[in-house]
Amino acid sequence: MSAVQTEPATLSEEPPVSLWRDAWYRLKRNRLAIFGLCVIVLLAFTAIFGPYLTPYDFLGQDLEARNQAPSFAHLFGTDDLGRDVFSRVVYGTRTAFLVAVVVTAIALVIGTVLGAVAGFFGNPFDRVIMWLTDVTMSVPNLLLVVVINASLKTPIAQWMEARYLETLNPFYRETVWIDFLLVFGSMALISWPPYARLVRAQVLSIRSRPYITAAQALGLSNRIILTRYVIPNALGPLIVAVSAGLGTAMVLESAFSFLGVGVNPPTPSWGNMISDGLRVWQHYPHLLAAPAAVLGLASVAFSFLGDGLNDALNPRGSK
Amino acid sequence: MTGTKTENRLLDVKGLTVEIETRSGPAVIVDGIDLHVDRGETLGVVGESGCGKSLTMLSLMRLLPNKIHVAKGEAHFDGRDLQKMSNRELRKVRGGDIGFVFQDPMTSLNPVMRIGEQLAEPLIYHRGMSKKEARARAVELLRLVGIPGPEQRIEAYPHELSGGMRQRVMIAIGLACEPKLLIADEPTTALDVTIQAQIVDLVKGLREKLGMSVVWITHDLALIAGLVDRVIVLYAGTVVEDAPVDELYAHPRHPYTRGLLASIPKLSDQPASRLNSIGGTPPEPGRRPQGCPFAPRCPLAMDICRTHVPKLEPVAAAGSHRTACFAAEKAREAA
Repeated sequence: MSAVQTEPATLSEEPPVSLWRDAWYRLKRNRLAIFGLCVIVLLAFTAIFGPYLTPYDFLGQDLEARNQAPSFAHLFGTDDLGRDVFSRVVYGTRTAFLVAVVVTAIALVIGTVLGAVAGFFGNPFDRVIMWLTDVTMSVPNLLLVVVINASLKTPIAQWMEARYLETLNPFYRETVWIDFLLVFGSMALISWPPYARLVRAQVLSIRSRPYITAAQALGLSNRIILTRYVIPNALGPLIVAVSAGLGTAMVLESAFSFLGVGVNPPTPSWGNMISDGLRVWQHYPHLLAAPAAVLGLASVAFSFLGDGLNDALNPRGSK
Repeated sequence: MTGTKTENRLLDVKGLTVEIETRSGPAVIVDGIDLHVDRGETLGVVGESGCGKSLTMLSLMRLLPNKIHVAKGEAHFDGRDLQKMSNRELRKVRGGDIGFVFQDPMTSLNPVMRIGEQLAEPLIYHRGMSKKEARARAVELLRLVGIPGPEQRIEAYPHELSGGMRQRVMIAIGLACEPKLLIADEPTTALDVTIQAQIVDLVKGLREKLGMSVVWITHDLALIAGLVDRVIVLYAGTVVEDAPVDELYAHPRHPYTRGLLASIPKLSDQPASRLNSIGGTPPEPGRRPQGCPFAPRCPLAMDICRTHVPKLEPVAAAGSHRTACFAAEKAREAA
């Protein structure tokens, strides 16, 4: 073993660079991605703290000052009930983020678990799960959401009302939660299949890599191999998908609210604000412009970040 | 045969047959192999690419890829049949009693895990060590395989190490739980020549230090000359020759072995002369010829070779040297 010392030490002082730090280094140099990230951070901050910082209550009506154009008192003007549009857009950010994050989280968990099981354990799990995925994807999203809302909203509302009469607990009068429950549920239901497919494809390719066989040769259990060897290696594309998915979920929530099957008034949502603004846009364009611009900005920010992450995490794929 | 005493046998494989599923039905890849490894012995397994070397070893650990399975045969390790073990028992053997070093160090390490963690994994799993103990042992192991600055290196990711370093890490992982048997599957193929020699020396030293048995799979007869005690030569999924290493080099009996030895270039060769090679390629699974699988490529093939399969039999004079060839005697005369 005298030959051992001949190989030079290639790294000494420098701290080891993890794949993630490497990716962050690449991401930092992508201006659009950083712009997207900044917008998202700003919006997230708004979503969390905004409602405490706005000068007006998002429900507060000032019938003396209806349909006002933007001014210093009302940055985005006021709507037909004299409510401050800026405050409502800020609160709408919270709605949008809440829906996007919760829906994406649920869809991600369902998709990752199903996709990983399908890919790693193969048939018969694979066949059943992929069949389920295909069936879910083949149903038109909007139709499914409308059907769920139409068929479940009334029964749940009635049940809640009955519980209220029984217990007189004011919690059961809070119909906002029915909206959120249905929106979360139905959107998660249509959002998980792409994650499942992505994870399955990743797992299928990773499963045949030598380091998985090496891990098996070490006697590690399937659970450890799946959670410590397979999924961490599938994470890159998954992070990109989540970034894009958050943006999509946000737009989807607005679309459903716009169509009246999402979050219902008076809870502000960009979608129902756009819907309201659309009726009077010839006279009061700011009522449409403010929420639409913010929605557009958020959507673009997520897709810039997603693209940047894609280049940063899969450097071989970019030019 | 040397050491027929069963208690000295660490690994004893009998009639191992591995098949692959094809559209036209199962095709045999490994055809009834018998092999054994004694305690403390180092066995070289030699053959061309695609002759079933790796599959034989993977099948022992039941790590075969999809569509490939063991059709029949037994593999006793330390007195227990690996093929009949429950998955739970088998997992204890894998990594615990049998260490594996794979061919390609570039892809056999998890790219997103620090090498210290990868080293610690089997220690935590098999030896029940705490994270802290496993980490200390990981440093020790890296030092054992000759990696400079092991305290810093355990924090490194695989992509930060050179090929030779990664193969050392692979060996350290294989040795982590002080296995009774280390199976090294062409561990030097992906490395350059100077590093190859280092790795061979390393395993040689460790084998003596730890008193383990080693199975070294390779297609490079020259490389393992100083390392192994005994060599078996595989061709098309069968053992064609089994001999102590010196005997094999001095008196190769099977024409295939002779061909392999003749294809090692020598310094004394004329610079412009053509390299020796064995004409043709090994038969594809499912398309083996009737009779001896080597007959179509064999310079000494006789009529009987094309109709009957030769058995692995002791060569008359030397008891521990066995070969499966009808022309073995002729080959000796030719030599």
